[in-house]
Amino acid sequence: MAGLALLIATSWGAWLLTAEQGAALLPFLRRDYTWQAIQERGVWRVGLDPSFPPFEMLDENGAPVGYDVDLAQALAATWGMRAEIVAVGFDSLPDTLKTGKIDSIVSAYPYDERLTQDFRFSTPYFDAGLRIAVPDDSPIRTLTDLTGRQVGVEWGSVGDMIGRRLQREGMIMTLKSFETPDQVISALLETQQVEAIFIDQVSLRQAQGAGLPLRGVDDPLESVPYVIVMPHRADTLQERIAGSLHLLQEHGVLSELEDRWFGARTLEEQNP
Amino acid sequence: MQGVTILRKQRRWLLVFLLSVTVVLISIWVARSLLPAVPLGPQQTVYTRNPKMGIHTRLTDEVEEQKIKRSLEMVREMGAPWVVEYFPWAYIEDEPGRYNWVHADQVVAHASQQGLTLIARLGFVPQWARPKDTTPLYLDEKNFDDFAKFAALFAERYRGKVNYIILWNEPNLALEWGYAAPDAAKYTALLRAAYPLIKAAAPEVQVLAGALAPTLAPPGSEFGVNDLAFLQAMYDAGAAAYFDVLAIHAYGWHFDPDSPPDPAVVNFRRAELLREIMVKNGDAAKPAVITEGGWNDHPRWTRAVRPAQRITYTLRAYEIAQQEWPWLDALCLWVFRFPWDQNSYQDYFTFVRTDFEPKPIYTEVQRYARESTP
Repeated sequence: MAGLALLIATSWGAWLLTAEQGAALLPFLRRDYTWQAIQERGVWRVGLDPSFPPFEMLDENGAPVGYDVDLAQALAATWGMRAEIVAVGFDSLPDTLKTGKIDSIVSAYPYDERLTQDFRFSTPYFDAGLRIAVPDDSPIRTLTDLTGRQVGVEWGSVGDMIGRRLQREGMIMTLKSFETPDQVISALLETQQVEAIFIDQVSLRQAQGAGLPLRGVDDPLESVPYVIVMPHRADTLQERIAGSLHLLQEHGVLSELEDRWFGARTLEEQNP
Repeated sequence: MQGVTILRKQRRWLLVFLLSVTVVLISIWVARSLLPAVPLGPQQTVYTRNPKMGIHTRLTDEVEEQKIKRSLEMVREMGAPWVVEYFPWAYIEDEPGRYNWVHADQVVAHASQQGLTLIARLGFVPQWARPKDTTPLYLDEKNFDDFAKFAALFAERYRGKVNYIILWNEPNLALEWGYAAPDAAKYTALLRAAYPLIKAAAPEVQVLAGALAPTLAPPGSEFGVNDLAFLQAMYDAGAAAYFDVLAIHAYGWHFDPDSPPDPAVVNFRRAELLREIMVKNGDAAKPAVITEGGWNDHPRWTRAVRPAQRITYTLRAYEIAQQEWPWLDALCLWVFRFPWDQNSYQDYFTFVRTDFEPKPIYTEVQRYARESTP
């Protein structure tokens, strides 16, 4: 009996140490040292690779600017703090986070389920996935509306790959390849060689921001959600970021950031 | 008394249960041992218009034999007769004299069955053959003979199926040299240790050396040694007698494949500069093989090109290999597929996704290889 009791007690203890509930019941057993350190210094150290406009780049003075920089500052402001931007090469970001040199990654970082044992992730704040884009007066609303139509893609791109996959799966449509995203958009809007295009959301949003009469329809053909990355034990920070992202969304700050860095969108997106 | 009887009955049932579990486990183990592995299938032949086409596969960490087979099938279907694959020493001989050839056997058997010419790259030092707190890419001179013995065993085991062996990878980089200072003379000593043993075990096997990383590292750099300087230093140290083929890494970065060679630039035709060094050192009769190279179409990597450029450059590179470089036996580009996503620019070197979905570059290379196929 004593052995059984010991086993139960040990199991319960182990569960407490690992489960979220454990942190709530026995906070002294599990503390978010990342959040604690952020509070103590009043600064949220954010790592990003300033080489991916408009999300992050360097201005003429060499200072990091972009959507992610402003997002980090807006989030920090909701906690009464400021964000300190640390420039790190994209591939080194996870290791830099692991070693504690930064508190989070805000760098157009795609969600990666393989890393969930090492890191925590925020909810997505931008989906850079592949979209169907059409002229604003097009009757096309969904993927199935593309049946029998001409679709433009950038040769060799993910859009090209998915277009070929859809054809292999039986979808009747003609794919037309172009060498650059600009040529793809031109084939849609200027020369009318195609009736729709497959394009990533970043390029689409930039085209919209430049005033082109384009709109995305239907759900992304392939989703690439950008998330904020945190240390695995930073459960409090994760909650804070989730709450603040929700707040920024509700108050239209995320839309403002998009308009600021991509240009204002003249048309509403249409999902089925 | 009744309590004792119940206890005995419970013990009996427990015993029966444990015995049943044991029988089931043994049956599963026996069945797994007796059942055939993934069938090799019929002997295949690669049909291609360009017999110099090749690619570096990455099956080292591919644990599922079916996926090993599928990868090599797709390479054949693409029209590339050559593959380079990595066989880490530490995976095979994790204790001195104790060998686990299971995975290597699978890769070699399936490559052979698909009609592919396999170039085996050897390296990655087991813990027992290096000092504590060193990386698996570190090897002391006193352990060169251990590596040489392993390489000879490898050559002997796969005689008739593996006719090309690369000794080490990018020894001109500190990272690939266990964070020791890259040293052409020391690398030459490694070749000197391994070459005669491999030749004694399988004289027909061609030993490849070099596989140098193209780099413009200045003299004294902590990261590495300029590849052109390193190759000359290898010749100066007497390396010529200890290899049969020069392995070359030819990355294009953002230059097209016709950009002229220039010692101050890393581009595809830098291979010609390495060739010049071979000729200058009296090694013109030896061939070369490009065992890594190509272009990357990552949207944000500074050395990447657009996807369309990657396709055009790749096809042109295969043409250059066939039409302009008679001294080159094969052009093996990096990399066919990873077992899992790297979530970095490396994913944009691949020809098929981890789930085997062919990227457009795969289809375009296949289309090129099938044009006017004999």
